[in-house]
Amino acid sequence: MDMVHATADPLALVRRVGALIDAGRCGAAGPLLAAARQLIAPSPELSQLAARLAEGQGTLDLARAELDAAIEAVPDHIELRKQRASLCQRMGDLDRAARDAAEAVILDGSDPEAKALLGGAMLSLGRARDAVVCLSEACSIAPANASFREALAIATEANSDPDGALAILRSGLSAEGGALNLRNAAILFCIRHRRYSLAVALAEEGRVAGTVDACLFGLKGHAESSLGQHAAAADSYAEALKLGPHDPYVRHLVASSGLLPGAGRAPPDYLRAVFDGYADRFDDHLIALGYQIPGAIRRVVTDYLGSTSGGRRGPILDLGCGTGLVGVAIADLPIGALTGVDVSSRMLAEAAAKGLYETLEEADILAWLTKEVGSWDLILAADVVCYFGTLEPLLRAVRARLAPNGWFAFSVEEHLPEAGGALPDGPGWALHRQGRYAHTQAYLTETVRAAGFSAREMRQQVIRHEGGAPVPGILMVVEPAASVH
Amino acid sequence: MVPSDPAAWDRLGLILMAFGDPGLAYAAFTEGQVLAPLALDIALHGVEAATSTGTLLGELARLDARCTNDPLNPAAHTARGVVLERLGHHAAAIDALEVASALAPDAPLPTILLGGVLARCNRLNEAEAALRQARGLDPENPRIANDLAAVLMRLHRHGEARAILLDLVAGSRDAASVLCNLATATACQGLQAEAVDLADEAITIEPDSVLPWRTLCNALPYLDGSSGERLLAASRACAQRLSRETLPALSNTPNPDRRLTVGLLSGSLRSHPVGWLTVAGFETLDPDAFRLVCLARDAGPADPIASRFRAIARDWIDADALGDGALAQRAREAGVDVLIDLGGYGDAGRMPACAHRLAPVQIKWVGMQNHSTGLPEMDWFLTDRWETPAELEHLYSERLLRLPDGYVCYSPPSYAPEVASLPALANGFVTFGCFNNLAKITPRVVQVWARILARVPGARLILKTHQFSDPDTAAWMLNAFTRQGVDPGRIALRGASRHRAFMAEYNDIDIALDPFPYSSGLTTCEALWMGVPTLVHAGEIFAARHSLSHMCNAGLADWTADGASDYEFLAVAKASDIGALAELRAGLRARVKASPLTDAPRFGANLGAAIRFAWRAWCRERQSDIPDQSTR
Repeated sequence: MDMVHATADPLALVRRVGALIDAGRCGAAGPLLAAARQLIAPSPELSQLAARLAEGQGTLDLARAELDAAIEAVPDHIELRKQRASLCQRMGDLDRAARDAAEAVILDGSDPEAKALLGGAMLSLGRARDAVVCLSEACSIAPANASFREALAIATEANSDPDGALAILRSGLSAEGGALNLRNAAILFCIRHRRYSLAVALAEEGRVAGTVDACLFGLKGHAESSLGQHAAAADSYAEALKLGPHDPYVRHLVASSGLLPGAGRAPPDYLRAVFDGYADRFDDHLIALGYQIPGAIRRVVTDYLGSTSGGRRGPILDLGCGTGLVGVAIADLPIGALTGVDVSSRMLAEAAAKGLYETLEEADILAWLTKEVGSWDLILAADVVCYFGTLEPLLRAVRARLAPNGWFAFSVEEHLPEAGGALPDGPGWALHRQGRYAHTQAYLTETVRAAGFSAREMRQQVIRHEGGAPVPGILMVVEPAASVH
Repeated sequence: MVPSDPAAWDRLGLILMAFGDPGLAYAAFTEGQVLAPLALDIALHGVEAATSTGTLLGELARLDARCTNDPLNPAAHTARGVVLERLGHHAAAIDALEVASALAPDAPLPTILLGGVLARCNRLNEAEAALRQARGLDPENPRIANDLAAVLMRLHRHGEARAILLDLVAGSRDAASVLCNLATATACQGLQAEAVDLADEAITIEPDSVLPWRTLCNALPYLDGSSGERLLAASRACAQRLSRETLPALSNTPNPDRRLTVGLLSGSLRSHPVGWLTVAGFETLDPDAFRLVCLARDAGPADPIASRFRAIARDWIDADALGDGALAQRAREAGVDVLIDLGGYGDAGRMPACAHRLAPVQIKWVGMQNHSTGLPEMDWFLTDRWETPAELEHLYSERLLRLPDGYVCYSPPSYAPEVASLPALANGFVTFGCFNNLAKITPRVVQVWARILARVPGARLILKTHQFSDPDTAAWMLNAFTRQGVDPGRIALRGASRHRAFMAEYNDIDIALDPFPYSSGLTTCEALWMGVPTLVHAGEIFAARHSLSHMCNAGLADWTADGASDYEFLAVAKASDIGALAELRAGLRARVKASPLTDAPRFGANLGAAIRFAWRAWCRERQSDIPDQSTR
């Protein structure tokens, strides 16, 4: 008989477990770790491996329990402290993360990872200035570490020094050349700060260096499109789609450049990606663009309050509330409770910081309306309907949630044949290059009627300015049609 | 029998298996394992019995429990790995066998099994490491040596593979499979005639086996002077030896205009010539008219071409997990109407499954598409007017689907470097180049190139292929040129590099020289994209006409020669007009970009029309009373 015995050297097994976890092969690491634990006594190293394995398998509580027990046994072990700091940061236990990272820095003041962890924790706790200090030290000890540098840039920006943040990202690029994440962070930064030419230059530098990454090409296209370089943008989007054929963000951008048949709406993942990336600077960005809709919405709300005898104070729903600009515009009016819904968690965090909304919900607006059962006197949708091509499902969903005497006010971008080209016999809407849809007046009139509304107001209105030119739009106010119940 | 003797239970189980009672045999093996938990052979016999009784899932549950309760038992982990592979869970199988191998580093079998699964899953570097470790434990085992050589060949390390195989053959020449591997390694070392002789020798040992014939079919296209008739005869002989099971009849509805399910059969839907030359065409097929199903090996998330295939596939069937008959059956169940074979008689090809017929319409396209398959069940062959002109039609067993432009659509990589200016302008001499596999460089090619170098004073020749990473192979090739009177200083031999660096090296080349008879396919497209035209000498068989098709498709028919002496003449003429070369190069990428060679939407429409044509023909013939396509 062919008997096989376990003859492995236990220490070699432990090394193998570490290598397998590094390679993401938890299926092999798990059984080997179990075997190693039968052969050798408990140690911080085994606990670390077990915690890494649990983290790799997504069982964060298990990882935390391993580390808690190990630190209780050996409180001065710097690697255990660092590992728990990182885990707690991931789990949202920011105080614990900061304490462990601080403990690690005390144990070894020259450990760059400990300093970076402390910096990351400080940043999450809103202490940007402290974060900059810690991360600067981490970067000066380990100048080649791209993730430390990216974190330092984020902290520097949060510390109100955007130029410094960009300089940090760019100096990392010249040192590293191929640090992809750093490059993408720098490009995204430039786009957020409307420095499109620099964004394109950084992306092009990456392309020439042979970068193969969907995100890089997607961002390049976005920047080119913002500069009006639509042919170049279409090429970039096509490359991005080859590299990220499953990425809804990329797919939507490619559709907007006319290379793929357009979908009836922008995918929620796309909106989440764009607006999470924009959140910090969204208000400034829109104000710089001459964003006029909140003011128009305020007028509608004033009209509504005046139209209701006795000034009812019904609840108001703000669809696609973003950072809460509509809330800011109407907060001083005598209104009822304000609920905001948006797909981007970072946008909602900005809205929450304004303290004007009773309730904020993170959801795709159509999905949320469909499952909601409440009723609203006033539903507002400022600059969000432009992410839908087909409006029928959205209008039906709103109709179902609007009180019998309620109003629905929304803005769209207007598709004008002389500017955007005549539409074929078709849907009455077009996907424009920036990834937003524009609608014709005729389509709006018909769809609103078909959804059971009658129009109170349909006003042409400049939405904002882009590249100095006004973006034409329509502000529409509708109410349930008398004949529909 | 002694009830406490595990070996006795094992023997009993084997006897029961031999007498056709795997259920009882399984019980005996289980009893044996209880008595001898570390006995690997009993554990593996148990897996065989569970396979026969169709109870592998139950066996897996039992082995899961054994491994949890006894984590230090290598036998249990090994058996678990074998079960997982049979259930199609390849990654988990590798993990389990890795555990067994790590626990018992002195036992060869777990590591051999690990090497085998890794090789089947295309994880070749890990497979090599495992098989080398196994070989260290059991140096005299010919199976390990043969498996290792096969993996090395797939890693393009043919010199090392050939050395191992020559050792094996020196011991005994009676194993056809070893001779076949040796034939392949020999062809890839540029010894085409020796390779064909080895394949013929394997055929004399096992004339009725598929493998020796398949090896011959793959060696012949490289042999100088091989005729289309000889190749067609060999592929017919190979096809004839494929087994055919009787499967339930096809149930496809013969509606000529309905949406069709198109199956892509391939082991190479990734960054591979098959991927680069077909993906854009499939991406642009009208999704309302064609639904794509991949019957393929998934190359994993890291490969950018594989992810493009995943994005367009409505269904993905792991072909590796299924035997040939089962694969055909699965394709039929999936309702595949038109099957496109993208593997041919290659290593990862599934021509034996095509013999069982996966779909009522079967089409051969890229992927070891070196010539006609000779397979009666392969109904159509996708080609173009340059690849298969009317006078060569008789060399094909299939009906021809001629696309109006070229037969492929090239999808250039985003990371291709910029085209540099013509090197001759700075160098003051012309640099010829050929970046093809050494298997394509025959002694006659060396002769002709040597004559060109003699007629173009100062000219250099750069040859680049993975085989030249091996210094012995490079020295051998250099010697071949020296024997033709060429100053070795005029020849540069370069080894493998990453794809982007590979493409960048075209910036050192003025004119690419096509080898013959086996012409370059993807390589010519890549050269064009990098601004380098290829000088073509076309032959008779399909593989001898790839460059002709690509160059004509890109509008460069003036680069195609009529015979070897015209090839020489044309090389000299083109090399003498540096101004024209520089001008051509400067605009070549834009020209290729605007040509049908890379025009994916145009290609997709043509491909769709060809598939529809083949389908309508089947519908028509079906209606005019062909009784059962499955036996056609």
